[in-house]
Amino acid sequence: MEGSFAALSDWLAASIRLAAPLMLAGAGGLFTERVGIFNIGIEGAMLVGAMAAVWGSLVTENLLLATLIAMLAGGLIALVHAYLTVTRRANQIVTGAAINLFALGITNLLNTPLYADFKYRPRVELYPVVAPAFLQKIPVLGPIFFAQPVIVWVAFVLPFLMAWALYRTSWGLNVRAVGDHPHAVASAGLNVFALKYAGVIISGLAAGLGGAALVLADLGLFAPNMTAGRGFAVMAAFVVGRWNPVYVAAAGILFGAADALQLRGQTLGLAIPYQVFVMLPYLLTIALLAGFVGRTIAPKTVGETYDPEKL
Amino acid sequence: MKERTKIILPILGDLVLTGGRPVLAILLALLAGSAIILIYGSDPLQAYAAMLDGAVGNRAALANTGVRTAPLLLGGLAVAFGFKANLLNVGVEGQIYAGGAAAAAVGITPLPVPPWLHLTLAVLAGFLGGAAWGLIPAYLKAYRGVSEIVITLMMNYVGIQFASLLVHDPSPLAKPGAFYPQSPLILPSARLPVLIKGTSLHAGLILGVILAVLIYLLLKYTPFGFRTRMTGQNPEAARFAGVKVRRQIALVMLISAGLGGLAGTGEVLGLKLALYDYFACGLGYDAIAVALMANANPLGVILSALFFGALRAGAGKMQVVAGIETPISQVIQALAILFVIAIGFGESRRLARRLRREEEEEEEVLADGG
Amino acid sequence: MVKNGDPVLRMRAITKRFPGVLANDHIDFELKAGEVHGLLGENGAGKTTLMKILYGHLQPDSGEILIRGEKVEIAGPKEANELGIGMVHQHFMLVQNLTALENVVLGIPLERPPLLDLGPARAKFKQLTKEYELELDPNMPVWQLPVGDQQWLEILKLLFRDANILILDEPTAVLAPQQAEQLFRLIRRFAQEGRSIVFISHKLKEMKAVADRITVLRDGQVIGTVDAADAQPSQLAEMMVGRMVFLERRSRPPRESEQAVLEIKDLNCLNDRGLPALKDLNLTIRAGEIVGVAGVDGNGQRELAECISGLRKPTAGSIRICGQPIQDVVRDTSLLGFVPEDRHRTGLVLGFTVAENMVLKTFADPPFTRRGIIRWDEVHRHASKLMREYDVRAPDPMVLVSSLSGGNQQRVVVARELSGKPSMLVTSQPTRGLDVGSVESVHSVLLRERNRGAGVLFISTELSEVMALSDRIIVMYKGEIMGELEAEGADVNTIGELMLGHREVLESQVGGAQ
Repeated sequence: MEGSFAALSDWLAASIRLAAPLMLAGAGGLFTERVGIFNIGIEGAMLVGAMAAVWGSLVTENLLLATLIAMLAGGLIALVHAYLTVTRRANQIVTGAAINLFALGITNLLNTPLYADFKYRPRVELYPVVAPAFLQKIPVLGPIFFAQPVIVWVAFVLPFLMAWALYRTSWGLNVRAVGDHPHAVASAGLNVFALKYAGVIISGLAAGLGGAALVLADLGLFAPNMTAGRGFAVMAAFVVGRWNPVYVAAAGILFGAADALQLRGQTLGLAIPYQVFVMLPYLLTIALLAGFVGRTIAPKTVGETYDPEKL
Repeated sequence: MKERTKIILPILGDLVLTGGRPVLAILLALLAGSAIILIYGSDPLQAYAAMLDGAVGNRAALANTGVRTAPLLLGGLAVAFGFKANLLNVGVEGQIYAGGAAAAAVGITPLPVPPWLHLTLAVLAGFLGGAAWGLIPAYLKAYRGVSEIVITLMMNYVGIQFASLLVHDPSPLAKPGAFYPQSPLILPSARLPVLIKGTSLHAGLILGVILAVLIYLLLKYTPFGFRTRMTGQNPEAARFAGVKVRRQIALVMLISAGLGGLAGTGEVLGLKLALYDYFACGLGYDAIAVALMANANPLGVILSALFFGALRAGAGKMQVVAGIETPISQVIQALAILFVIAIGFGESRRLARRLRREEEEEEEVLADGG
Repeated sequence: MVKNGDPVLRMRAITKRFPGVLANDHIDFELKAGEVHGLLGENGAGKTTLMKILYGHLQPDSGEILIRGEKVEIAGPKEANELGIGMVHQHFMLVQNLTALENVVLGIPLERPPLLDLGPARAKFKQLTKEYELELDPNMPVWQLPVGDQQWLEILKLLFRDANILILDEPTAVLAPQQAEQLFRLIRRFAQEGRSIVFISHKLKEMKAVADRITVLRDGQVIGTVDAADAQPSQLAEMMVGRMVFLERRSRPPRESEQAVLEIKDLNCLNDRGLPALKDLNLTIRAGEIVGVAGVDGNGQRELAECISGLRKPTAGSIRICGQPIQDVVRDTSLLGFVPEDRHRTGLVLGFTVAENMVLKTFADPPFTRRGIIRWDEVHRHASKLMREYDVRAPDPMVLVSSLSGGNQQRVVVARELSGKPSMLVTSQPTRGLDVGSVESVHSVLLRERNRGAGVLFISTELSEVMALSDRIIVMYKGEIMGELEAEGADVNTIGELMLGHREVLESQVGGAQ
């Protein structure tokens, strides 16, 4: 009994920690679909962000700077996507797939030179756990919430900030409008292209941040393809969370739990194979999209190419 | 002789017209690649020469290229075929697992049939397994209008986990006591024949080439292909012309998924000779890139897959000779696609506009006179 | 300060060209302060294009715009709004998922950036709706609003920005008659307040009711500007509709057969907005006659054509072609041919070659397909033959149809639909956007088919060609057939009155047809 309780607690704590990258990438990533652009390149941006975080840490030895560098890397990747899809009006799926391929290739390639100066790969400095000891010792909640690196707390705060930006600012109103009806936004005198660029770039910055969280939360090492499809899980979280930053982050926790389950699969000794649990969030997403469970209200023009002349 | 040229020339013309843009993009990517090589302190010409050698320099190299080409070819065909009906099948990764699993299930089971039949059944199972993975996306897209993109993306994950389930105890497909989760080996009677003795080059490559040609012919010379293309270009007009659009979309999606399943089948029955956990490693996503480079032309996919395959195969030699690590091939591929996207569709639209303007001017002259 | 009566807007020599069509041809347009100026014309006349230029959605190829005497450059809707110009578009520019209030404030800089402080805006919303007697709930999501309310919301947006020049593009399309009356009252009030209104419509009655002056556009040109009070409906109709008022009536052999090829009984259907488009329509067409459908665009003609061709499902009634129900015969090219109004959407696959488009319906039948394989040589031979017969000008059948001009594209559609020698031919606006030469050839083709023994349903808003080509003319108004006359000797004024919905005109005529 004791043992399984400890395993459960351990799983929950791991869920939260593994959810952090998804929550961060998700809370900002949804802005790209809010403005009507499908960005499957979030996966690539996260991967590049992870490597940039490690590189930044090795070079500056400052966690904050490393994080910012990671965000910048993600943002640059997204900028390419924005340019090709918004200005050049290319197919959004194909562009995203190409970017992912590029990100995978370039990070694989730079993997060795990254650690060239070192004989053995060092673990870089991780995000610190900042909660005072007494908080960490609280039964149940302590290890799950308080014994976490500070980036997890950021992951819980950021969604609320993004929600504030989306629902409480006039810019956020414009963002919510442009993905649904870009022509209405244009006829209101606003700059549709600027809004779309902003949405995509924000998704890149958030993905970069998620990548930093992925590598600097408890690993400290970059491994090839370490995102392993988390970027796509983020996109599923958009659907489950109905493109609301707070709900998307909550969905991120769901996916994080599945992730943690996958890593702990055998040891938990479950009757049902752990793979089934890992599948569940994705099956849920399919069910939601199929309209079986509730009603998903996706931004109407996601994936469509915006042509200002075709009113 | 004249009859044959009438058929061959248009096909060549087809290829040339669609080939111009990608060739330019490849050249640009190779150029960009040489910049990276220079940064590494190596000589680009030497590096590319090594790559070429590693890709086609000897029998082993050719086999290596062929092995890498096979799944890219089949996967690329899956994406390309779907694209003809305006379907974006990004679920090839999951279909590879589904098809591979189905093929493995038949391949490890001893059947009282001659070997060629065992193999055929296993391949068929692989196709059906992939198609089964396309059932949900096909239904949702055709009959409920739900975009196939996110659905197939999600099915990838379900596919990976499902295959993983199958190779872990207590699945009947799992090899007991295995070091790495896998199925038992495929029985010799169900393995794809080896094309070059002593290598891993398997008949999956031939299957891919044959299917590419068949699909090209299907699209161009059969009513089904005509309906598919019509549906992809203009579903409204297709409906007007009496095409059962929903049924067409569902069928194309199923076939596309089945082709994806064949990509996995080739790997399982030809290369890996067992179903391994996580064996696809991104092949499904590479397939999207392969199809794009070929502008979704099935014959072009052969060349595009060969390019990708050769690049990957030659990267190993390039590492040995020039010290550039193998991922450089992925970088060059990605750059090639990004350039293809960036170069854009300018050509055909400009040509069309020019022709139309000439017509208008002609008519204005007539109108003034009339 | 601009006094009532001075021109507040002048558009000079505005020209705008799109691929294949000259939308605005050196248009001069003037708007006085406090005036309601109607812009009248058929669909495709260029009214919306002109106003899109004024609002900054489009840039003119040449010409200039002067606001209150000063030349201005309107780069986009932002500049238009700053100049006090507001536009209510034909299609709603409302974000369905947002509330009414949110839609109204979109793009308006608010009190405390970046915060979205809706308090003051809500108060202003309530004040304006009260002042102008519009019943709107600011907090209701737009998708829940009835269509009429969405129209008021669009107008409210203009009031919110205190627009001085208001452009209303077909605002009554979704309004019930009482609502339209309310709109006219509003417009008159705006004018009294000193605002200037451009009112775009193709409905003559409305124009007369609300406008001070009316400018008529046709084929991208200004035909004339008249005072609304003095203008006669038939005069306006003539300006709007006739290329040449009288086309030579074509001679033809008399109709021999009495066999009915098209029988429509009690047909009812809805349009795209869910409103009734056809009401208990009955029509019979016999072999060897051309029945022309006259009427102002938007009175059900398109829906009628779509029902007959199987593209739209009727809500009640039946359609038979040569005695067979429509669903069974839709694709049979020997029975039915249909030249649709929108050739790009329904009639052609632009990405296909001319040859492929020629066999769009028949590709699976012999001789084009034998033993499951398409014989392209047969297809090309067939296409070449048709291209010669119908004078399609293209280098060869393997050219993409998207590279052809509008006239040639239409010829491809006509050629294909007629190649099976159908018993019944439906054509909807077949000469729209075509040059004079192509119009001629289309007319000749239709007459030839009629003489061959086909029944032809000829829908067109060009009254002159309807009168020249038809054997019988039916006039549609609001989804019903107002009247039916023999084309030979028909009186254009009678038809005009029927087009306006004045059924009585037939009853008062001696010997009027049933």
